[in-house]
Amino acid sequence: MSLSSALQQLASYRANNTRASQETFKKGVTILKSRNAPNLGEDGWAFLEQLALASIDIGRLDVADECTKQLSEKFPNSPRVAVLVGIRKEASESPESVLRYYDGVLEEDSANAAIWKRRISVLKRIGKTEKAVDELSKFLDTFYTDVEGWLELADIYSSCNQYTSSLQALSHALVLAPQNPFTALQFAETAYTAGDLPLALKMFLVVTEMVERDIPAPEDSAPTGISVRAWWGVKLCSRRLIESPPSSPSASDTPVPKTIKLIDELATERVLTSYSGEQGAEGRQLVSQWISAY
Amino acid sequence: MLGRVFLIVATIAIFHAAFSAYEHLSQLKALERPEGQLPPDIILETLFALALGIIGASLNAPPLKEITWASEMRKHKIDDMDSRLGFANFVNRGRNISSQLGQSSQRSAKVS
Repeated sequence: MSLSSALQQLASYRANNTRASQETFKKGVTILKSRNAPNLGEDGWAFLEQLALASIDIGRLDVADECTKQLSEKFPNSPRVAVLVGIRKEASESPESVLRYYDGVLEEDSANAAIWKRRISVLKRIGKTEKAVDELSKFLDTFYTDVEGWLELADIYSSCNQYTSSLQALSHALVLAPQNPFTALQFAETAYTAGDLPLALKMFLVVTEMVERDIPAPEDSAPTGISVRAWWGVKLCSRRLIESPPSSPSASDTPVPKTIKLIDELATERVLTSYSGEQGAEGRQLVSQWISAY
Repeated sequence: MLGRVFLIVATIAIFHAAFSAYEHLSQLKALERPEGQLPPDIILETLFALALGIIGASLNAPPLKEITWASEMRKHKIDDMDSRLGFANFVNRGRNISSQLGQSSQRSAKVS
């Protein structure tokens, strides 16, 4: 595995926010050992940061220390290096001392969003969920456009089974990132978990439309990737809506579509098509059994 | 492959035409004749090199990428879009598992 292809792979991990720590560590350590002087140019520092985070993630604190040392020598008073030092402290010190360190950094520079996020993450890790949610709401009042923060808030609310608040946070994320089908899919699945089936059905259909928007004839090709998940969602919602029509109106006042039976047929066909190629061969039997049971 | 060959041939042809034009003009200057029209074969060579270079550059171009947002989103995975690295928890049980890598087992004894 040549150095340049490893570097390219790591750059794509950075661009896509992938957290493949084991892979990053394996490739990064060979690159770190091979270079004596930083000849990677501007990307070298971002690579060191990425390698430091990956090593902390899998427990190799020695490699992380080396990367942090190089970075702090080059950038002495950088807020980004302060975040890295804080994460390294999280791995070896008690949470209280880490929180004190973060408070110290925030006193000097109260607009350091990354340090604030780390503080919230530590609070969530030690179990102070209420305090974490309060801090996160304050953070999002200040930095409204942080999509990551809204997704994190939705995740915390979902884990506490407060699905309405989670849906509210996700709708803020949807406003900020309207073309992102992944956020809409999370919204649909949270609505399904909360029991609001018409809303979930509507959002699943929105996701399928968003993903297949640029295909000229989507009915001719099998769904791939996230649209399989969305069509599954449509199938589940329509099946439950047909079997037991909800007695009470949905919590969000979304009406059930009149053509629900046609939607059910379409979703069945789409789900079966997506398992019809060689990729879906393993699940095909189970899927057709499950579908024919209803 | 073919595009690169065309590009190299076109580059050689254009250098050759330029050098011939220079030689021709210096010959005219040596004979003290007024500078007239360039010989037509040099002009033909230049135009040929231009056409071949355009074809070679078009064939040598990297593969085209799609422009719609939907096609871009199809390339991403859910784990990448939902990774929330700013809030990520880097203190997990992985450090106790990777004990065969050496030092982490000592550190895990220090942290409870």
